[in-house]
Amino acid sequence: MKILKKCLLAGMAALALLGVAQVASAQETDQVGRAAYLDGVKGKKVIFVPISQGMDLNQAWVMVWQRHAARYGFTLEVRDPNGDTNAGIRAMQGAIAEKPDLIIVQNPDVQTYARLLKQAQAAGIKVLQVNMQSATQTDSYVGNDWIEMGRLEMGELAKHCTGPNAVSHKVVWLAGVQTGAANIYMRTGIDEVLKANPELQLVSDQPADYISEKARQITETVLQQHPDLCGIMGIWDNAEVGAGAAVAAAGKQDQVTIVTNGAGAATGCESIKNGLLDVIFNFNAPIQGEIAAQQISELLQHPDRKAGSEKTIFFGPITRVDKTNATGRNCWKPEDIK
Amino acid sequence: MPGSGKSDDRRLGFKASQEVVVVAISVMLFVVFSVTLNNFLSQGNIIAILKNVSILGTLAVGMGFIVVGRGIDLTMVAVMVVGVAFSIWISSWGIDFTLAVICGAILVAAIGLFTGVMVAIAEVPPIFATLAIASSVYGSGRIVFASDVLYAPPDIAWLKFVGNGSVLGIPMSVVIFGAVAALMGLFLRKTRFGRLVYATGDNPNAARTTGLPTRPIIVTQYVISALIAFTAGIIMTGLVTGIDTRLYNSSLIYDVLLVVVLGGIGLSGGQGGVRNVIAGTILVGILTNGMTILNFSYTSQNLIKSVILLGALAIDAIINPRDEQTSQSGDI
Repeated sequence: MKILKKCLLAGMAALALLGVAQVASAQETDQVGRAAYLDGVKGKKVIFVPISQGMDLNQAWVMVWQRHAARYGFTLEVRDPNGDTNAGIRAMQGAIAEKPDLIIVQNPDVQTYARLLKQAQAAGIKVLQVNMQSATQTDSYVGNDWIEMGRLEMGELAKHCTGPNAVSHKVVWLAGVQTGAANIYMRTGIDEVLKANPELQLVSDQPADYISEKARQITETVLQQHPDLCGIMGIWDNAEVGAGAAVAAAGKQDQVTIVTNGAGAATGCESIKNGLLDVIFNFNAPIQGEIAAQQISELLQHPDRKAGSEKTIFFGPITRVDKTNATGRNCWKPEDIK
Repeated sequence: MPGSGKSDDRRLGFKASQEVVVVAISVMLFVVFSVTLNNFLSQGNIIAILKNVSILGTLAVGMGFIVVGRGIDLTMVAVMVVGVAFSIWISSWGIDFTLAVICGAILVAAIGLFTGVMVAIAEVPPIFATLAIASSVYGSGRIVFASDVLYAPPDIAWLKFVGNGSVLGIPMSVVIFGAVAALMGLFLRKTRFGRLVYATGDNPNAARTTGLPTRPIIVTQYVISALIAFTAGIIMTGLVTGIDTRLYNSSLIYDVLLVVVLGGIGLSGGQGGVRNVIAGTILVGILTNGMTILNFSYTSQNLIKSVILLGALAIDAIINPRDEQTSQSGDI
């Protein structure tokens, strides 16, 4: 009887221990902090006001963010003004009125949304700016270091267009939209390089408005004036193919170096292979999108922090791509991101 | 209706005057730039001027054709970008590009037909009908194509020829513009249909009462202008290897209209012709070229452009004052 009792006790103790062990192991498998993270982001509402969703970089970002949102249970709504600044203002006003947890914004220029962003912050909405900054600094900016971009591109031209072997010292800057952040800051970087290389001669500084046909027309006219042109730098690979076409039509592909930047889409690599472009400083939009996705998580996780109380900046990667490395991750296709 | 008595002579005089003003300003600018700018008067630069206005000019020929018939076609840029983008899009499924371009042309003609029916039969004022249709055409394209910029397949020989080829030293884009303009000029001046377009534009009600088939004429006009817009799109694709549908959002359609009105085709219809379009196109071409060479900033370029255009219109208003006799109903 006693033995039986002992056995029973031992058995019960073993069972209890097993139970405790099970509870313990269940606690171990829950990743530290995950529950709080999920709790923080789940059910939150994020609104993105882009310049236009038709651009390759925008498509990459939104693909990355949608995947992130679906995985962690927050919603991402895209309010696309499709390049129309007035529609963009209405989209921003609408977004502020809806009081989402976070607004992501790609500014068409530094002024248009400047006051609206202040209003959003005052209303307690956190704001993440992507790639194109406003004059108003908000919680976070994820995107290019545009001054560095200007320095890199003009620096590349300085390599080709200075020194005794250069065909000439004449270079062209095909701008985008002159009030856009990219344009304003790139210009600062360009001026630094021009100052350091006084022999470089900026013979034309015209905006192509991100349109390839305009870039082609300007380049064609400039080439007539300066047949010994050495280099052209631009602001978006999809526009500078027009400059490339004008240079190719003049049969000066070996003489004129064309440098630009881009989201790293496969179409840019094709343009390098076709000889329309020489160098693209690739800011890899999918990686930029991933960095922004982590910023979204950070901003959603801390609802206790006041909007605009902490301001952070994240500059994304920039890779120099020419015909030797126009492959692999430097040339993404939308289907690679899914 | 032209070709009938005194009123025609008066209108002929009016036409010539505005055209003369524009040509005079063009010549003046040409002389000033030739004297002050190096290489302006080179063969290469003159070809560059023509090449740079070939797309604008081609579109303006189509627009002029519509305006002569007292219409307006704001769908042209939308039709141009969406038609060509559609061709590129279906060619990405593996369809032969030439066939895809033919399919694009059919789509574009169908859009033109629809626009024509809305204007001629549903009698929606053309400015509203075409504004709405432009927006829906572009919007549909925007949903279907996902990307703004579509690149044509790289190894299409005839497309390369359109972009880089030349005939007797004249670039193909200019040759196509010239051909479209010449055909349209002959069509308007020499064919019965062309004369009917003038009659319809001059006084649609009178034309209809007289028994002219005004509705079929208007429908045909919009089909033709859509096909001309498509042709301009093909030139652009040849030149820059792809099409940028965001052009719809640019001021291109207004530039086209400006060239037409500046050249002397009144928005009230029934007057002017291809010569006016060419005069307007060349003025804009010379102006843009000179200012690009001078490296004027974007803002000052726009300012100078508007001042010169306003000047041309003002001089015309002084030379040809409007009164009850010269103005027509529907004049804007």
